[in-house]
Amino acid sequence: MKMRWKAGAALLALTMAVGLAGCGNQSAQQTQSGTQQGDGKTYTVGIVQLTPHEALDQATQGFQDTLKEEFGEQVVFDYQNAANDPATCSTIANGFVSAGVDLIMANASSAVQAAASATGTIPVLGTSVTEYGVALGIENFSGTVGTNVSGTSDLAPLDQQAAMIQEWCPDAKSVGLLFCSAEPNSQYQVDTVQAFLEKLGYTCTQYAFSDSNDMAAVTQTAADNSDVIYVPTDNTVASNASIVDNICRPAKIPVFAGEQGICAGCGVATLSISYYDLGVTTGQMAIKILKGEADISQMPIEYAPQFTKMYNQAICDDLGLTPPEGYTPIPTE
Amino acid sequence: MLDFLNALPGAVSQGLIWGIMAIGVYLTYKILDIADLTVDGSFCTGGAMFVVLFSQGVNIWLALLAAVGAGMLAGLVTGLLHTVCGIPAILAGILTQLGLWSVNLAIMSMKANVALNIINPDVLNRLLVSLRFVQDVGNGARPFYQHPIFVVGIFTLVIIGVLYWFFGTELGCSIRATGANQAMARAQGINTRRNQVLGLMISNGLVALSGALLSQYQGFADANMGRGAIVIGLAAVIIGEVIFAKVFHNFGLKLLAVSIGAILYYMVVQLVLSLKLMDSNYLKLLSAVVVAIFLSVPYWKGKYFSKPVKRGGVSRA
Repeated sequence: MKMRWKAGAALLALTMAVGLAGCGNQSAQQTQSGTQQGDGKTYTVGIVQLTPHEALDQATQGFQDTLKEEFGEQVVFDYQNAANDPATCSTIANGFVSAGVDLIMANASSAVQAAASATGTIPVLGTSVTEYGVALGIENFSGTVGTNVSGTSDLAPLDQQAAMIQEWCPDAKSVGLLFCSAEPNSQYQVDTVQAFLEKLGYTCTQYAFSDSNDMAAVTQTAADNSDVIYVPTDNTVASNASIVDNICRPAKIPVFAGEQGICAGCGVATLSISYYDLGVTTGQMAIKILKGEADISQMPIEYAPQFTKMYNQAICDDLGLTPPEGYTPIPTE
Repeated sequence: MLDFLNALPGAVSQGLIWGIMAIGVYLTYKILDIADLTVDGSFCTGGAMFVVLFSQGVNIWLALLAAVGAGMLAGLVTGLLHTVCGIPAILAGILTQLGLWSVNLAIMSMKANVALNIINPDVLNRLLVSLRFVQDVGNGARPFYQHPIFVVGIFTLVIIGVLYWFFGTELGCSIRATGANQAMARAQGINTRRNQVLGLMISNGLVALSGALLSQYQGFADANMGRGAIVIGLAAVIIGEVIFAKVFHNFGLKLLAVSIGAILYYMVVQLVLSLKLMDSNYLKLLSAVVVAIFLSVPYWKGKYFSKPVKRGGVSRA
């Protein structure tokens, strides 16, 4: 008798699981119906994305659009999202590898790591990763992984960022580099950009704060001692951009930012990358690999093809700065 | 469906690894009768400790041991908060878990994610388990005894063996007594506080070991990796119990049932993902719903479906 209830419970659980399936994604059904048409080879591409996120979604979209344009119906996507649970990335990658997909596109660091763990043979293209050396634990990273892993980085070239500062403030002497010491990506960018800036003749000082609590004090010190401030793609600054703005704008110190979000909050100008374009670049790499035109182990990490030079209208007005040619204002919401 | 069958070895491997964590959860939830939420933090502590030490060239067994030690420390903190400071167990676990978030980041040198350099074959070959080995054994590139199912299976059996022995000793029995009836155990002169602390330490040591194995398996440790671990652990405990309660009465077999429960859980997850039964964003909801149902069924059974007490019950009293 008791066994029957257990069976009933199991059945109930199963029913609910199937019931939930009703909310499932239609895109999967669409892609499944698109197989085996035309006479050419059909490629299956597994896409593992860490989490639903506007930037990541755009990269995936750009990737899919590029491949669809090239192969039409001959490419089938298996898109899976790990809902921000890194362990699920492994489960998804395991599914792709055992299904024998032709290529895995891994969106964000954990996804790339899981995919690289899962296979040593199927090509893995990453995207939305800032630094592959950091993401894969490779010391002295040369720019090419050299195995079945390659991809695109979302970093705006730091030499161009240094050039941007020169373009806006040719008369400035000292640049303060403001960042959070807890973020290895920020440290990397600050170190790199410092070398470029010093080559251009600027004096650079690093101002690191440990968290949002001492951020205001460190920012104040930076503003007092610098002509210009540079902020990398630092998550802590991104969440607290108003602190920087409240200190630097009254002090008339222009802030240059590593990405658009920070620039909208406290910056004068930035080089903005489009994640859609980044996905397109990743897609073009995938086309070469799938067609057998390129060997992934020889392919270096690629960057976004173009950057939009953007400026913050409100802050420029307050500081009395006129944007040079070629800059577009950041859209205000 | 074929995709799913091909993916099974990977799913079973992952299930076995989580099974070790589930055994830890079983010890606190079932034996000590404490819902210990520390595991959400100590799981990552184990993974972080292992990846950091291993990347610096520490021997793999020492790194695993250090991971277990770190997990036991986390359990010690929860235990002391509960027994010495008188904080309710569930809150003590939550406090430790919250604090561990920062500790885990500190272990990983303030990075939210650290990777093993699995691109380097030397590093890969030093690992005990890796998702890569599942395919490598499948196509004959590695011997069968490197298959994660085999390696983690041995781990699980050894752990079950040691726990079986331990919970048969006087100390082990007194821990079980503590969980079964604390007041009675204390009346028997058992130091119930010490036993609770000890139980929490053993449990979190196992959880951290599981985290260390998982970070090897997936090639990285991430500050988010333990989130929701307690629910997966509970799911494994409950699935194992519901399916094997009638068959397995021996303590060792009950632990085995927990491990099998975790395997079944990951088979279901893989099934859902492989057959695209639903959007993977709903996975956590599915876990929560399954655990809620399996937890409710015994209660409903007792409340609504038990036979009415017959007359003459007095004679049995």
